[in-house]
Amino acid sequence: MKNSLHVERAIKKMTQADLADQVSVSRQTINSIESNKYIPSTLLALKIARVFGKSVEQIFQLEKKDL
Amino acid sequence: MRANYLFPFGTRYFGIALILVHIPIKLLWDHYYPNGYDQSVSSSGTNGFLFSAPHLFFIGTTLMVLVGLFLVAFSRERVEDEQITQLRLDSLRWAIYLNYAILLFSLIFTSGGESHHILMLNIWLPLLFFILRFQWVIYRLNRSAKSNDSDTGL
Repeated sequence: MKNSLHVERAIKKMTQADLADQVSVSRQTINSIESNKYIPSTLLALKIARVFGKSVEQIFQLEKKDL
Repeated sequence: MRANYLFPFGTRYFGIALILVHIPIKLLWDHYYPNGYDQSVSSSGTNGFLFSAPHLFFIGTTLMVLVGLFLVAFSRERVEDEQITQLRLDSLRWAIYLNYAILLFSLIFTSGGESHHILMLNIWLPLLFFILRFQWVIYRLNRSAKSNDSDTGL
């Protein structure tokens, strides 16, 4: 699963720590998600999408290997 | 929010203290009583030594180590989020794998008289391996986050 978290953060001029604070996780977790080392739970994905005011699908997309 | 049944973050220090305090006590006991609990168990094979001084000492020191390891292993991280929960679960699974691999290996390649040592090993090995593995993956996670910071400048 790929994501556009880094881009969304850049648009909002938000650091990993800022986003981590808003969704109540560690900065390391945001970093792992951005580098595709960790796939967030549905709950966390929804929280992240809410921060950016977008739907989950606009931020997280399935890849061919996931299908 | 689901309950995660973990001890508060600070209890790990109490756990470390218990383990550290246990070491000189055990060394002193072994120095003054070189034929401590091990011999009483293996030679008697009965309950004749139950609650004798070496047995009580054994219970005390084992409890100190066990409680210490439990507190270190199952205390919360500073930020206990879902990734940490997954790493914790993953480490626990590896600890169980290793424990049963060693247990199986020991049962095949040792005779009945040595089962006491296998039991002793099983008391602390899974917890110790869990702690080492869990702390190692957290260390790697932090290192990876730091290296990404220097790459991206964020």
